[in-house]
Amino acid sequence: MKGMMNTMSCEDVMARLWEFLDGEMSAEDRRALERHLEVCGRCFPVYDFQRAYLEYTRQLATREHAPPALRKELFLKILELDRAGEAG
Amino acid sequence: MSQRTLWDRVEMAWAMLSGGKRHDVEGARQREARPEPRGDEPKTRQDGFSEEALPWLDAVYSFAMRLTQGDGDDAADLVQETFLRAHRFWGQYERGTNVKSWLFTICRNTFLHRKDLARNRREQPASQMDTELDRIPTAPLFHVRSEDPERSFFQGLIDDEVIAAIDALPHDFKEVLVLSDLGDLRYAEIAQVLDIPIGTVKSRLFRARNILQEKLRDFAARSGYLEETAT
Repeated sequence: MKGMMNTMSCEDVMARLWEFLDGEMSAEDRRALERHLEVCGRCFPVYDFQRAYLEYTRQLATREHAPPALRKELFLKILELDRAGEAG
Repeated sequence: MSQRTLWDRVEMAWAMLSGGKRHDVEGARQREARPEPRGDEPKTRQDGFSEEALPWLDAVYSFAMRLTQGDGDDAADLVQETFLRAHRFWGQYERGTNVKSWLFTICRNTFLHRKDLARNRREQPASQMDTELDRIPTAPLFHVRSEDPERSFFQGLIDDEVIAAIDALPHDFKEVLVLSDLGDLRYAEIAQVLDIPIGTVKSRLFRARNILQEKLRDFAARSGYLEETAT
C-alpha cells in the first residue's frame, strides 16, 4: 500500500480504517489518519463505531470457555500419553 | 519421574482443570518469544507443552465453536484432537514462533480433514462471494438513538445473536474474522494459518466485518436502537 501524505481524504480514511484499528499501519500513515480523524465530523463517528465493534468482539471471545469435562478428559489423555512415552 | 516432568504435570493439571489459565495468556505471549533451551538443560520431547500450549485452550475452543457452527460436542472433539496432535508433534513446534497460530492451524486442518468442504465450496465459491460482497457498503449507514451511541449499540446486542450472525457468515470469511476479531491474530499470522496472501486476508476480513455489521444493524434496528438514514 502506498504511503500517505500528511493529510488523508475521507475516501482514504474509509479505505484504511480497519488497518488503522488493527494496528497494521506504518507510523507515518497512522499519524496522517489520526490528524484527519481529529477534524473530520464524517469519519470520526465511523471510526468510533468500528473501534467499539472490535472492543465488543474481543470481549466476546473471552466469555467463551472450554467446558470442564473437556479439560478433564484432555488432561487425563495427555497424562496417559506422557506415561506411555516414559514407559516406552 | 524427574523434577522437571513432575512440575510440568502439576502445571498441566492446573491449566487443564482450573479453567482459570486465561489470566496466564499474557505470560504465554511473553514465553512465545523465549529462546530455545540451552543444550545442557534437560529437555523431553513434550517439554514446555503445558505452559505454552494449554493457556490457549479457551481460544482454540472458541475458534472450534465457530468452525462447527456452535456445535459444542463437535467443538469439544475437535479441540481434543487438536491438542492431542499438538502434544504428539510438540517436538516439531519451533520455539519462538507463535504457538497460538500453530494451534489454530492444527485445529483448522483437523476440521478440514473431517469435513468435506469441497461440496460447500462448489455451491458458493469464494470468487463468487467476493463479487457479491463488493456490493455491500463499506461504512454503516445509520444513526444511533443515543447520546453515547457506540457504547449503547453494543450493550444492546445479545451475544447469542452476534454469535449466530458470525456462524452464518460464508465459511472463508468467517475463518478470517474469527481468527482476527476473536482470536486476536495479526494479518500475517492469519495468512500463515490459512495459507493465503495477506491481501486476501484483508479483503475477506473487511468484507466479513461489513457483512456482520449489516446484520447487527438489522438486529439493532428491530430492537429500536437505530434509525435508518436516507442514502
